[in-house]
Amino acid sequence: MANEQTNIIGKGITIRGSLSGGGDLVIEGRVEGQISLKNHLTIETSGRVEADIRADELTINGEASGNIDASARVAINNSARVHGDVKAPRVVIEDGAVFNGTIEMDVKLPDDI
Amino acid sequence: MANTIIGSSIVIDGEISGDEDLVIQGTVKGKISLKESLFVEGSGVVEADIETQNVEIAGRVTGNIAASDRVELKTECRVVGDIRAPRILIADGASFKGNVDMDVKER
Amino acid sequence: MPAKEFASSATGSSDNTVIGPSILISGKLTGDEDLTIRGRVEGEVSLTRTLIVEPSGIVKANVSVKNAIISGVVVGNIAATESVELTQEGRMVGDIRSPRVIIVDGASFRGQIDMGDATPRAEGATPRPALVRATVRPGVSKPAMISKPAAPLPPRAVTATRVEGTRPAPPPPPAPPVLAEAGKKKVLVKKKK
Repeated sequence: MANEQTNIIGKGITIRGSLSGGGDLVIEGRVEGQISLKNHLTIETSGRVEADIRADELTINGEASGNIDASARVAINNSARVHGDVKAPRVVIEDGAVFNGTIEMDVKLPDDI
Repeated sequence: MANTIIGSSIVIDGEISGDEDLVIQGTVKGKISLKESLFVEGSGVVEADIETQNVEIAGRVTGNIAASDRVELKTECRVVGDIRAPRILIADGASFKGNVDMDVKER
Repeated sequence: MPAKEFASSATGSSDNTVIGPSILISGKLTGDEDLTIRGRVEGEVSLTRTLIVEPSGIVKANVSVKNAIISGVVVGNIAATESVELTQEGRMVGDIRSPRVIIVDGASFRGQIDMGDATPRAEGATPRPALVRATVRPGVSKPAMISKPAAPLPPRAVTATRVEGTRPAPPPPPAPPVLAEAGKKKVLVKKKK
């Protein structure tokens, strides 16, 4: 991942459609549709995403609605507003974040429950 | 070793079981079975059958008590029910209504 | 019987209920005080204060509380009027309804989260009372049973008020429907081990 560059979708940009790629991506603008990324996606505070998202790792500081499937980790930070279903081995919700939807992680329960 | 305290505002309706001392300051209805000691404090209200090793009651108990060692009814207590234990102490001032059966083999 | 002394000294700590590690309660538990679970509770729990499930604690119940701090295992739904926090060791399967939900890295969770229409907290960096308490309270854990009644009481009172003070614009608690629901579901969950 280190040798791939970071792409930025700036504040003034709106993308409708499907977006895929290998590098890291930072969204400061709007994306509607689908995002499929091999690496790290960051939605900045100004970013608005209405899309189903697949990525390795996802950091959300802005708004996201849609289903999220991350192979490593999803961080929903305190300024984030997220609506949708999240599937990832690790999900973190900071205090102050707004989230509505379901979360699916592996939960290891005791045998006798 | 008394790890468990049921505080005065707590109401439990159901069954409590365990291997440690239990202090009841609140209300328990249902059934209590312990391998250690039960303390029903002054504020405690128990409407339950009790099975334990030792019981000390300063509060109110309605139900049958079976202790493998000892039952102590303290001055302020009010107990209604049958008591079965090899050793039973009833303090002056305690109020008790029920049968006492001390004909149990000591362990 | 040394426990006798403790029993009487415990009278002072009447707003601290602890369910010890070997205790199993099955049924319905209600109260107006903080509850710390180190053992196992099955059925239904409803409190007007804070529920703390410590790492050894297992709760298989529908829960309605003001705050919940989960470091153990919870299977069931939680409705909290203020906050729910899953700490690093927390594991939960079930739905959460609460205006504030915090999931710390390392926690695992499966289920639905409903924070309602919480307005975005402008400065999300407000103090995090739940976290503060999470770190303070478990320190009280095992060894200090005797000193316990004296020590933790004042700080709790302080944090409790601070929670209310620092909460910006709490949205109306969405409790009633869930409470009713939880009440009905009790029957399903209420079974002995």
